[in-house]
Amino acid sequence: MNNETHTPSSDFAKEIALIPGGEVINKCIQCGICTASCVVACVDDQYRPRRLIQKILIGKRDEVLKSDQPWLCMTCRMCEERCQEGVSPAEIFHAVRILAVKEGHIPKVFQITVEKVLCDGWMLADAYTDFNEDEREDLGLNPALAWNDTFTKKVKKKYLAGEESA
Amino acid sequence: MTIDHTSKKSTSKLDVVSSEALVIGGGVAGMQAALDMANQGFKVHLLEKTPSLGGKMAMIDKTFPTLDCSACILTPRLSEVSRHPNIELHTYSDVISVAGRVGDFKVKIRKRARYVDEDKCSACADCVPACPVEVPNEFDQSLGFRKAIYQPFPQATPSTYTITKLGTPACREACPADVNPQGFISLMKEGRFHDALRIFRKSNPFPGVLGRVCIAFCEGECVRGELDESVSIRNLHRFLADYERKHGPDRPIEAKIDKDERIAVVGAGPAGLACGYHLVKMGYPVTVFEAQPEAGGLLRYGIPEYRLPRDILAEEIDWIAKHGVKIKTSSPVESIKSLKKEGFKAIFLATGASNSNKLGIAGEEAKGIYHASDFLERANSGKPYPLGEKVAVIGGGDAAIDSARVAIRLGAKEVTIVYRRSHVELPAIPSEVEDAREEGLNLLLLTNPIEILTSKDELRGIRCIKMKLGEPDHSGRRRPQVIRGSEFTLIVDNMIIAVGQSVTPKGLHEECDCSEWGTIKVNPLTLETNMEGVFAGGDVVLGPATAVKAVAHGKEAAISIDRFLRKVNVEADRIEERHRVRVEEVDMEKPTEPRVDMPKHGVAGRIQSYTEVELGFEQESATQEAERCLGCAICCECELCVEACTREAIDHKMQDEIIELPVGAIVLAAGYRLYDVSDYPRLGYGKFPNVIHAMEYERLINASGPTHGHLIKLSDGKLPKSIGFIQCVGARDVNRGVPECSRVCCMYGIKNAVMAKEHDPEIDVTIYYADIRAFGKGFEEFYNMAKDRFGIKFIRGRVGEVMEDRETGNLTVRVENTDEHAIQDIEHDLVVISPGIQPPWGLDVIASELGLELDETGYVPVKDELLAPVDTTIPGVFACGCVDSPKDIPDSVTAGSAAAMRATIILSQAEKKE
Repeated sequence: MNNETHTPSSDFAKEIALIPGGEVINKCIQCGICTASCVVACVDDQYRPRRLIQKILIGKRDEVLKSDQPWLCMTCRMCEERCQEGVSPAEIFHAVRILAVKEGHIPKVFQITVEKVLCDGWMLADAYTDFNEDEREDLGLNPALAWNDTFTKKVKKKYLAGEESA
Repeated sequence: MTIDHTSKKSTSKLDVVSSEALVIGGGVAGMQAALDMANQGFKVHLLEKTPSLGGKMAMIDKTFPTLDCSACILTPRLSEVSRHPNIELHTYSDVISVAGRVGDFKVKIRKRARYVDEDKCSACADCVPACPVEVPNEFDQSLGFRKAIYQPFPQATPSTYTITKLGTPACREACPADVNPQGFISLMKEGRFHDALRIFRKSNPFPGVLGRVCIAFCEGECVRGELDESVSIRNLHRFLADYERKHGPDRPIEAKIDKDERIAVVGAGPAGLACGYHLVKMGYPVTVFEAQPEAGGLLRYGIPEYRLPRDILAEEIDWIAKHGVKIKTSSPVESIKSLKKEGFKAIFLATGASNSNKLGIAGEEAKGIYHASDFLERANSGKPYPLGEKVAVIGGGDAAIDSARVAIRLGAKEVTIVYRRSHVELPAIPSEVEDAREEGLNLLLLTNPIEILTSKDELRGIRCIKMKLGEPDHSGRRRPQVIRGSEFTLIVDNMIIAVGQSVTPKGLHEECDCSEWGTIKVNPLTLETNMEGVFAGGDVVLGPATAVKAVAHGKEAAISIDRFLRKVNVEADRIEERHRVRVEEVDMEKPTEPRVDMPKHGVAGRIQSYTEVELGFEQESATQEAERCLGCAICCECELCVEACTREAIDHKMQDEIIELPVGAIVLAAGYRLYDVSDYPRLGYGKFPNVIHAMEYERLINASGPTHGHLIKLSDGKLPKSIGFIQCVGARDVNRGVPECSRVCCMYGIKNAVMAKEHDPEIDVTIYYADIRAFGKGFEEFYNMAKDRFGIKFIRGRVGEVMEDRETGNLTVRVENTDEHAIQDIEHDLVVISPGIQPPWGLDVIASELGLELDETGYVPVKDELLAPVDTTIPGVFACGCVDSPKDIPDSVTAGSAAAMRATIILSQAEKKE
């Protein structure tokens, strides 16, 4: 094993421990039960929650914050349920995401999604066709989805006023 | 808890009253402590909860890291302890209370009844094949079975048997005649029908008769009823009688009359005959006098033949007669005095209550109105009363239903029961009511007759009124109330009144003190009347009751008469103190299964004649029904073990014994329990048969275990080819409140893995671990040997879950191999979970008696972990073994010796004083 495993290269773990939800990170003994229980890890051969926590512990701050991986957690909390040491990878990755956002590291796909929602009022506006319109009408629903727009406008006005003006 | 902590004198000035010690727990640590104290000359009481010393070490196959045979190491220790003159064993015992202080404790213990005399029993095992009751063997982790009378393992110490008995089952408690249903049913399960019949006849000579007409109080209380339906107890003993009729008795009947005092029984009904039967079995010459031309009483004259064929009754009466009872029919007795003059030393009056009650309304004497007892008697003697087309039967008891069904058989077209309460309160046997309805009986419930309509003194109809149910009355049944203005008329040709019976106003019984209802006043316990040597029972005492109650009276009277003639106290110790097994004590985890149906004669055929309606079980269905019995009390008290034992060591009446031990010091060595791994559903224990835990594995590989040492899969009995051992389950888990390392699992896990390879080097063995703690002498070497020499695979990673292939029963373990950062699904055909260890059940109870406060994980806290590691916080109380923390065998033994030394420092001060 190389030296960096033993001496963290940064205070990243301490930094995470200061964020609510991240306190428990130092209890991790790297047993791997989180990975063995993870529904995402089951289908993604890159995503390994234990490995990610290991990277935090050994101080790979940049690599972790710039990575897409902390964003892949589905927060199903199965890892938290099964962890015998009281660690919650779901909470830790939430803490990592808070830090990443502060430093502007948001995966492109998340940015696009959020922007889409703020703009259209819903995520799948492009998929909304005449066909759906007819169907909604048949069901006695309002075919116009402008009310979603209204809602996001309200949200933007109330919470993101600065951004809208900018 | 009354321990006095106020006297905090320094040890040197201790007032030590007793130099004896108590060791709680007979495992390897407790035995070490006991031996070390006893070898210094102190008397030691060694208390063990289970029937044998040995603790968990006796269950273990091999020790680590030396791979010694656990039993071979332990057995010499067991015999050393049992033979030591200074050690007194109290096995199968519990601590009830502790009082006093260091040097002067008073400990009350309960020595539970093992129903076998330790001194007489030679552990020859003759009783084992006689016992019909099989239960899971706890010592083998319930993988195999043992009998209710058992020895946990061959080297059990003390070398004696124990009977597991919870008390008296509900069925037996419910039976007035004290028939033992669990007893005969347990034997039926094994196909021992003759033995079963003997059990029944111990308390009741009418298996076939009551197998047809008994009200079956037992079935009402049967615990199986809480699960699905009660066991058909009545039909089962009927089967036993049918079986004997078909196959003949297995032993000849011999009358053994060896006493001189002649006894007269008046009345050959169920009470009189039962009394005669029990008396001749004791050796008394008995004569039964019967006024009617044939014996049987109400069984013959009250119960129709389609329910009780006459040959069955005659055979069972004959069976009683063969035991030596003389039955004189057509012999009315003049007076009690005349009997005494004839030289009878004791008399039992059982003349019954055959007088029909009246309705008490106008017109009851009109033509066409019969009373049930007359009506049935005439019908049963072949001289029935003439009936018209429409018949009403007033009443809801068995006599009413019987009369109605006889009326149907006599050709009445429309038979109606008129009963003033509802279906629920109907006192007749429900299955009889059901059968009668199939035969076309109408039920007019919540209806009461108020006037009899006659013309020229001949019955024309009944004026009835509708009723509703009000508050319960003194009998607990809801009192019927009249609904005003609901009167209506029922046109009938005949009416049968079946509203109960009473004792005939004139008769022999008038010579005794009678109650206002005309029944004889007796001592309810002994059935003595006011006249010396005269006893009475059955309906003449109870008023109209049931056959089984009459039989019960006959039996009790026989006991009284025997005592009276032997001139011993008739009343003393008549009521046995018994514990009725409660529903929550019974293992109810059984699949539900309805009662076996009783085959019946078809309706169309049976209403033409008096042939029997219920046809009786076949052998197969009887065995099937017997298998439904839950065996509530475990030991069924068939007492066949008593017969099998040549040393008279078995005593089913043995009682728990409570004794007080004065001791100067107490050593706690209560051991541990394994974590219940079914608490981890993701690992599949309890759900998948091939997931077992380490102690089950120990028993499976042990030569004296349930498989004689063959390591097999529980799903199919085949040898496993690939075994996975899962470590750290129920230990180091903060989520389940067990944060500590159990200290032994790593090494016993590796030992178990090595043993798998020793059994078959071809088996693929993998251990899943978080880290291996091989901290003791030789441990690391053992670990390396397992890896290098035995080729055991070690995968670092805690197991996420275990999945089962439903077809093959094989198991897939999902784990992250943390060395390779890879998720792996690895297939095994056997998975062994290594559970952590926990403080034993019941330690909290003992601790609270001692005034000890347990720590948050439930262990006994020690005074100083470095300098006083076996001293508890209570002076004079010491801890060893696993009660204060998990330990392996050598550490437990070391602690045992240490605790013994600490205790004798106190005890020796008592010696100096003397």
